[in-house]
Amino acid sequence: MTLDVRAWVVWLFAGGLLAILTSNPFYLILLLIISRLVEYACASHIPQQWRLPFWRIAIVILFFSTLFNALTAHFGQTSLFALPAQWPLIGGDITLEAAVFGFLNGLRLITLLSFFLAFNSIVPASQLAGLTPRALHEIGLVLLIAITYIPETIGQYRRIRDAQAIRGYRMRGWRIWHPILIPLLISGLERALNLSETMVARGYGSTTNVSMPARARAAMLAGLLLTLAGALRLVWGGLDGWALIAIGGLAIAGAYLDLSRQVSRTQYYDRRWSLTATWVVNGALIALGILLVSRRSLNYSPYPDLTAPPFDTWIGAAILGLAVPAIIILFRKPAIEVPA
Amino acid sequence: MRSKALSFALYVVAAMIGILALAYPFLIVAFAPLGIGDGSASTTATPLLTTLLVSLCLAVLLVELQGQAAGAKTVAALGIMVAATSTLRFIEVGIPGPGGFSPIFAPIILGGYVFGARFGFLLGAMTMLVSAVITAGVGPWLPYQMFTAGWIGLTAGLLPHPSHGRAEIFLLIAFAFVWGFFYGAIMNLYTWPYFSGDATTTWAAGIGVGDSIRRYAAFYLTTSLVWDSAAALGNVILMAAFGLPTVRALTRFHGRMQYQAWQAS
Repeated sequence: MTLDVRAWVVWLFAGGLLAILTSNPFYLILLLIISRLVEYACASHIPQQWRLPFWRIAIVILFFSTLFNALTAHFGQTSLFALPAQWPLIGGDITLEAAVFGFLNGLRLITLLSFFLAFNSIVPASQLAGLTPRALHEIGLVLLIAITYIPETIGQYRRIRDAQAIRGYRMRGWRIWHPILIPLLISGLERALNLSETMVARGYGSTTNVSMPARARAAMLAGLLLTLAGALRLVWGGLDGWALIAIGGLAIAGAYLDLSRQVSRTQYYDRRWSLTATWVVNGALIALGILLVSRRSLNYSPYPDLTAPPFDTWIGAAILGLAVPAIIILFRKPAIEVPA
Repeated sequence: MRSKALSFALYVVAAMIGILALAYPFLIVAFAPLGIGDGSASTTATPLLTTLLVSLCLAVLLVELQGQAAGAKTVAALGIMVAATSTLRFIEVGIPGPGGFSPIFAPIILGGYVFGARFGFLLGAMTMLVSAVITAGVGPWLPYQMFTAGWIGLTAGLLPHPSHGRAEIFLLIAFAFVWGFFYGAIMNLYTWPYFSGDATTTWAAGIGVGDSIRRYAAFYLTTSLVWDSAAALGNVILMAAFGLPTVRALTRFHGRMQYQAWQAS
């Protein structure tokens, strides 16, 4: 499904924030299922071998998180067994509540990871590079060169390896990598010099040299000083530190806007906001609305005695707003094939 | 002159915020006295706050540094070196090394050492960004990775350049070994406040600076030392095997990249 990348950013923000702030296992499992479903429905263009083995990673995280907390936290009422008290760190009662708490921490982490993996799988790298602010145009250029040259670097590596194999080199031990990695580095840097000459020949850097305006630098400095003051204020217990950090962030954003105005960027493809994108954003905003209406009901703690977590149908229904992309794919009319 | 002073002030304040953000779990006492500190709220708020601080810092440093490295040769060399280093991370995701070993830090150190601190910072930060994009590793941990890898490249650029080859390689090996542990210790700070468990190893809102450092040291020794040892030893092996030939190759290109034709007056 081709959607404006900004709609996916809103979807990711809503899902990621809910995953961080929720400790209720029912809502976390719902969020996890939704993020997996959306990835499977919308990221069909990514070859399977390029995807990270999510479930394998998830099982490892859940296992170690549960084990670590069960062994090191000795709180809770339901003792499963006890280790000798003289054992440092892990000695004492191993409780069911501590194991559940560790499991919930792991579940929260893998839900967050799942949303980011879905976003990475759905949005192509070129569109992600397109999100680079115009103020960072050189950084954006480096990003694009790097993404473009990665397949070329892998191809060059294969060519050098084949050439060395023809000369009789055998790929055994780490010392044998010398005749491959050093030519790979040198040929890469030769390409960089060629590329820079091509860039200059096509006009890169030929416009009037515009240095960064002093007001943008001053705004960034003011923003950083306010942020520093806000962070220190929070260390000493002042809640107004958040306000100072927010103002600092706005000053830095202002400097970015100022710098972006000096850079014009052209686009090969026209980005159009579609009705589907509006639906995806609305679904994400409905899910985010939970934080405003009923933030406390997202919390759950297994301590001191394990109880069943509550489940509110309305909150569950609101979380389903994040599943809009998968639902749209499910109910989308098949494309009409036009005979050639 | 005013521009240089502003630029210097930006670096100093950004470095201070970066250090403060990374040291935040040791310093924070803000939430408990304000009635928010029931533990869970602080556990959520502290990582969010530090991510915000690191991101703001990174936003300023990137825009400031790119302006000083904007020549076509630098941009192209940076792009190609980022591509090569990111490819190594791509291979690492496919074939994971032992423990925390990663092949990407040796090229970042060598790039910073030869091309200078600014190039090193950008190489480290951009390598993390690009490799995260291609390996689906974009997440709230990314600003930390960018910032810390940027520091690796930046500090490598500040190293002295001994004229004797043996001294040079020993210096680079020692530097890579130390950063193998430092990188892990800094990156742990992002997740440490999330952990709960034994009071001698976990973070809690309102504890003092000394107690926080003691708890973190215990946590690091029990959970990360062995993992990071693999990273440090891997760095040493890579640096011993490829350090000097890579430095020679990069130095040759550094000279060619600095060549500039000027119109005779």
